[in-house]
Amino acid sequence: MSARQFKPGEMVDFVVVGSGAAGGVVARELSQAGFSVLVFEQGPRLEAADFEHDELKYFFLNGITNDPRHSPQTFRKLPTDTAQQPRSNLLPASYARLVGGSSTHYTANFWRFHEIDFNERSVLGSIAGTAFADWPITYQELEPYYTKVDWEVGVSGLANASPFDPPRSKPYPMPPLPVKSSGVLLERGARKLGLHPFPAPMAIASQAYRGRSQCVHCGFCMGFGCEARAKSSTLYNMIPEAEATGRCEIRALSYVYHVDTDAQGRTTGVHYFDSNKNTHFQPARAVVLSANGAETTRLLLNSTSNRFPQGLANSSGMVGKHLMFNQGSGAQGIFEHELNEYKSVQVTRILHDFYDSDPKRGFYGGGGIDARINPQPALWALDSGGDLPRWGADFKARLEAFPRAMASTGHTTSLALESNSISIDPTLKDAWGIPAIRVTYKDHPDDLAMAKFLQDRSYEILQAAGAQKIWRNDVAENTFGVHLLGTARMGNDPATSVIDKYHRTHDVRNLFLCDGSSFVTSGRGQPTMTIQALAFRAADYIGQFAKRNEI
Amino acid sequence: MNASDDTQDDISRRSFLLSSGGLFTSVWVASQWPAIAAAAQHAEHVSNGSAHFEFFSAADGADVEALGAQIVPSGSTGGAREAHAVYFIDRSLLTYFSAMAPGYRLGLADFQAKFRAANPGSAAFAAAGGDQQIAFLKTVDRTPFFEITRMLTVLGMFSSPKYGGNHQGSGWKMLGFVDQHAFAPPFGYYDAEYKGFVPYPAEKHV
Repeated sequence: MSARQFKPGEMVDFVVVGSGAAGGVVARELSQAGFSVLVFEQGPRLEAADFEHDELKYFFLNGITNDPRHSPQTFRKLPTDTAQQPRSNLLPASYARLVGGSSTHYTANFWRFHEIDFNERSVLGSIAGTAFADWPITYQELEPYYTKVDWEVGVSGLANASPFDPPRSKPYPMPPLPVKSSGVLLERGARKLGLHPFPAPMAIASQAYRGRSQCVHCGFCMGFGCEARAKSSTLYNMIPEAEATGRCEIRALSYVYHVDTDAQGRTTGVHYFDSNKNTHFQPARAVVLSANGAETTRLLLNSTSNRFPQGLANSSGMVGKHLMFNQGSGAQGIFEHELNEYKSVQVTRILHDFYDSDPKRGFYGGGGIDARINPQPALWALDSGGDLPRWGADFKARLEAFPRAMASTGHTTSLALESNSISIDPTLKDAWGIPAIRVTYKDHPDDLAMAKFLQDRSYEILQAAGAQKIWRNDVAENTFGVHLLGTARMGNDPATSVIDKYHRTHDVRNLFLCDGSSFVTSGRGQPTMTIQALAFRAADYIGQFAKRNEI
Repeated sequence: MNASDDTQDDISRRSFLLSSGGLFTSVWVASQWPAIAAAAQHAEHVSNGSAHFEFFSAADGADVEALGAQIVPSGSTGGAREAHAVYFIDRSLLTYFSAMAPGYRLGLADFQAKFRAANPGSAAFAAAGGDQQIAFLKTVDRTPFFEITRMLTVLGMFSSPKYGGNHQGSGWKMLGFVDQHAFAPPFGYYDAEYKGFVPYPAEKHV
C-alpha cells in the first residue's frame, strides 16, 4: 500500500502532531490498528541521500534543528528574571525540526530506565522544595513496551551484561556494535576500580535489520541524519511502516498552532499553517500531541478559548511546569596510542554502578558514565572548558592529539522543580506570528553535585586506564536542553498532573499527550528509549479506547 | 547590561554542556542558509589562487590572518594560515555570519587601536614580530573579539573545504581526522588488541 493522502478538510480518526521519536511510533501503531492517521510535521521531509558530513551546517547553521531566525525563544534562570533572547544559534529548548524529529539526529544511546526510576520518591522520601514524585506506572508495566522498542525500532546490545540491568523479557535483536578504543579504555580503567562497564545498548543496527543496512561506522551520528539508514530513526522505520498501511499521511512543512475544542470541551481538530503560511483547519475524532516537551506544552498554552482561558488541559496549572534537561559532566584523556574516536558510533561502553541515588553522598542523584568523544573536529577543537589550552603552541599540540583523545562522560538526573518551565513569552512571536517559547531553568544544587560526583569518577577511570594527560570540563548550570522532559507530567491526581497513566489529558477526553513531556522524573540522561516505550504503550491503550468507543 | 556584557554572557554560555545530546558550541548569530552556495563558489576561487578579500580591507585581512596564525600556529604541520582560515572568515561575515559583522568590525578596530597603543611605533599587528604578537595577545585573549576570532579560525580550519577554509583538507590533516563514507574495525590501537567482553558473575548488584 502507498501512503494515504487525505482530502482537504477530510475527517480523520487521529491527528498526531509531531513525527519524532513518539509521534512516529504512535502513528504506526494506530494506523496498523486500523485507524486513519494524519501526522503533522513542521519541518521538511528529508531522506538519507539528503544528509551530509557537514559539521558547520548541522551544528552552527541549524541545518536540521530549530532556528532562532524563524522560531525564536527566550531564556531566564528564575521566574523573577526578565527572559532574554540568547544571541546564539542554539535555542534554550533545542530539537531537530524535520520528519523523524530528534530521533533523526540523536546519538542513539538506548538505556532502559531501571525499576527505581518509577518509584524513587517512595523509596527515598520527599525532597523539600521539589516536585519529586513517583510515576503512576511501574517498570514492570512498561517492560513489554521496552522490548517492543528493542525489536520494532531496532536496538543493538548485550542482554544482562550489566549486573545493574533491570529484568527483561527478551534479549536484544542485534549484538552490540564493535567496541572502539574508548570503550576498551573505559572498560580497562573501570574494571581496575571494581566497576562494571558493559556494551552500550544503541539504537543503531549492528547488522542488517528489517530492510535497513548495518552501520558503516562513518562517525556522524550525534547531531546528524544517518546516511546509511542504520540509525533507528522513526524516519527510517515507524514512518514508512505507518504509510505502508495505506491509512497514514505524513504532512510535512505543516505547522500546527492551535488545538480546537467545542462547547462540550472536546477537541475537534487543529489549525495549521501550510508551507505557504496559509492557514487550514483539519478535523479529527481525537488528537495526539507528540511535538516534544517544549512544543507540546507551547501548543497547549497557546490553545486558549473561553472554556480553557489558561490553555488547553491546564486546569491544574501544571502545563509547562517541571521542565527537566538532565545534567552531565566529563573529563577528557590523552593516551599514548591512537584511538581515532571520530570513527564509528559515539558510544560503545557504559557503566551503571552509580545509577541509584545513595544517601551517603549527601545529595540526591544518580547517573551513568559512557566513553565517547565529541567526534567532529570543530566542536572538539572549540572545547574551551576547564584548563584546556585555547591558543598558541599548546592549543595546537592539543589539536594534534585528536586521534589519541577520548572523554568519559557522566549523564545524570534533574529534579522536578515547579519553577523550571516552558511558558509563553509575553511579547516575542515567531515568524508565523505565534507567541514564542520562554524557557525558565536553574538546576537544583543536587543536580550539579551529582554531575560533579560523576566527573570525579570519570577522572579516576581515565587515570586508571593509563591516560597521559586529563582535562576536566566545567560543570555548569544548564542554559539550554536537548532533553525536554516533564512539562505535562503523568499522574493519577488531576490537581497535580496533566495526563493520566494512559496519556489522556485529565481535562479533554479525546486529547492525548505522549512525548518527553509525560515524564515524572528525568531518568539518567538517556530519555528516548523510554519516550518510545511510552509511545508504544500509549498507542496500545488509545487504540483500545477507540475500539471500545471510550474516546 | 551593555553590549560587551551580552557577549561575555554568551561566552560563558559557550562553556560546555555534556548531555547525551552531546557537546554543543554556540555561535553568536543566526545563519543565512542560502549563502552556502555562494560560499562554495568562493572556496573555488580561493583554491584556484584567485582569492581576494571581500569583507576585509587588505590591511584588516592581514591582521586577522596574523591573529589566526597565533591561535593555530604553522609548524611541522599546517596552521590557520595554511588552511586559509581567514578566507573562510571573510566570506562567513558577508554571508551566514553577517549578523555579527558590524560587531566584528568594531572589535577588530578596537584590537588594532589597543595594539598600537601598547606598541608605539609598530604599524600593524600583522607586521609585528611573533614574540611581540604573543605578548600582546596575552593581554587581550579573554576579549569577545579574540573569542570570536578563535571560534571563526577553528571553523575555518575544520569545516568542510567547500566553505573556503580547510584548504585542501589541511586542517583535517593536521588534526588527524579522515572524512570518509565508511570505516571498518579495528578503529584504533586499543580495540585492535581487545580480547572480547568478559561477563560478570551472575550475581545481582542492586
